[in-house]
Amino acid sequence: MEKKKRRLSRKKVARIRTGVQIFFLVLIAVIAVNHTLSESGGGIPFIAEASLHAVCPFGGVVSIYQFATVGDFVKKTHESSFILMLIVFALAIAAGPVFCGWICPFGTVQEWIAKLGRKISGKRYNTFVPPRVDKVLRYLRYAVAAWVLYVTARSAQLIFADYDPYFALFNFWTGEVAVTAFIALAAVLLLSLFIERPFCKYACPYGAVLGIFNLFRIFGIRRNSVTCIDCKACDRACPMNITVSTADRVRDHQCISCLKCTSEQACPVPDTVELMTGRFAVSGLASAGSREVTS
Amino acid sequence: MKLRSAHIAVITVVFVFGGIFISMILGVWRTESSKVPAAYTEGEFAGEYNPADIRGSYTFEDIEKAFNVPVEALAAAFGFEAQDNPGSTQAKIFEEIFGEIDGKEIGTDSVRLFVALYAGLPYTAEESTALPFRAVEVLTREGRIDGATADEIRQKHGVELGLDMMGPGAMETTGETAGAVDEPAGTDTHDEADEDTAIKGKTTFRDLMDWGLSEEEIEEVIGMPMGPANQAVRDFFIEQGIDFGSYKEELQRRLDEK
Repeated sequence: MEKKKRRLSRKKVARIRTGVQIFFLVLIAVIAVNHTLSESGGGIPFIAEASLHAVCPFGGVVSIYQFATVGDFVKKTHESSFILMLIVFALAIAAGPVFCGWICPFGTVQEWIAKLGRKISGKRYNTFVPPRVDKVLRYLRYAVAAWVLYVTARSAQLIFADYDPYFALFNFWTGEVAVTAFIALAAVLLLSLFIERPFCKYACPYGAVLGIFNLFRIFGIRRNSVTCIDCKACDRACPMNITVSTADRVRDHQCISCLKCTSEQACPVPDTVELMTGRFAVSGLASAGSREVTS
Repeated sequence: MKLRSAHIAVITVVFVFGGIFISMILGVWRTESSKVPAAYTEGEFAGEYNPADIRGSYTFEDIEKAFNVPVEALAAAFGFEAQDNPGSTQAKIFEEIFGEIDGKEIGTDSVRLFVALYAGLPYTAEESTALPFRAVEVLTREGRIDGATADEIRQKHGVELGLDMMGPGAMETTGETAGAVDEPAGTDTHDEADEDTAIKGKTTFRDLMDWGLSEEEIEEVIGMPMGPANQAVRDFFIEQGIDFGSYKEELQRRLDEK
């Protein structure tokens, strides 16, 4: 009976993140549609003029160079992008890439397609890429980030929009989306049937930037090695394929702070995998040294 | 200290909307260009808004607010008076609707010229800038320019707008969907190669260099050290309080020679 209660509780916990994700996805979709309406003199007054670029925190990141050298923003980005960038950085300093796991609508869409993928592939889902290949590919997003920052700094324009599947998804009706972005979108949606969050893992430049915060975030994912029963439930739950079960603290640059691995959700032992500061009360006595996942 | 999912949910929403709220209070939250043009920095008109800084994204309403030029006058000048909502017409659509007529171009610079003449502000339009005859008539009718000036403007910049250019199709091109609408036949005489290296408001120094001008050539034309490579050339001139038009012509000429 108690077990049943607990399972329900875990479902409710999972729904909290889903609720936040749906909220932001709907918000962004409304803003995108409303921007189109406002172009023809309509739209909702409160958010009438905001474009997708104006509410994208990555627009702030790519504008840093422009702002530092010229004092203005890359075309189509505005002060709002800069402010959102700072907000997301503050969140990331506190608890890692919360933006990726809780806010990003494109991550949410990939997660939803993953549910369909799991029905198709079962337990093989999210294990198709050989680990050695996967490990190398995980650094591809840093190359993408470097390229995006370079070409944006050179041109002062949002060159990445022509390849951005997120922009394509929320602007497909506008006529502004390049064919290359549509191809990228189709590829990501298709790959999501076999790999969880493929864009986040291999290509997202913003995820690359935010991933760096995993190295020094204040609240980290910690595992209590004393109470851990080594069931690997945390490893199986992680959408980013991080091996949580061998770490005392997860510092993997791919963690998205979704909390799926924690004792609130996947881990069956209370107070064993937690998002926290400091150390578990007894783990320091049992562990000879700190083990961390830092791939 | 531990954080649960509920905590992260609350923290996320509070950070995002709290941050936005605070930035709104501080007056720094902006999701669009300010639509406040730069002002003249010196001379008789110091402190007044400079029509040279009118951007393609400015609507007739934005221009009315900044320069006190009525939407009705702008709409009449450029043939938009029959539209349902002429105030939302953006200057940037002119190039796409009208394009080139008799070797001159109706675009954002035409709006700058009209506004400058209407408001009595100094502005040197580019040689290739066109102004519809009907715009000159509006200026004359409202007593904004005298007969001699009208004749000079007609001779230097005047073009006749065909009625077909001001039809319902023009309305459909309002805003960013402009590119999706068919342009009137025969109005666009640019070839694609020229378009690729045509200096526009968003052209940066980097673009000029990528198109073949050296830093030395650019500085020779503008007569001073150029701005940062990623700065728009027009923004640089506005910052310096110098008319962009004449320098643009020379830079374009040098580019065309390449």
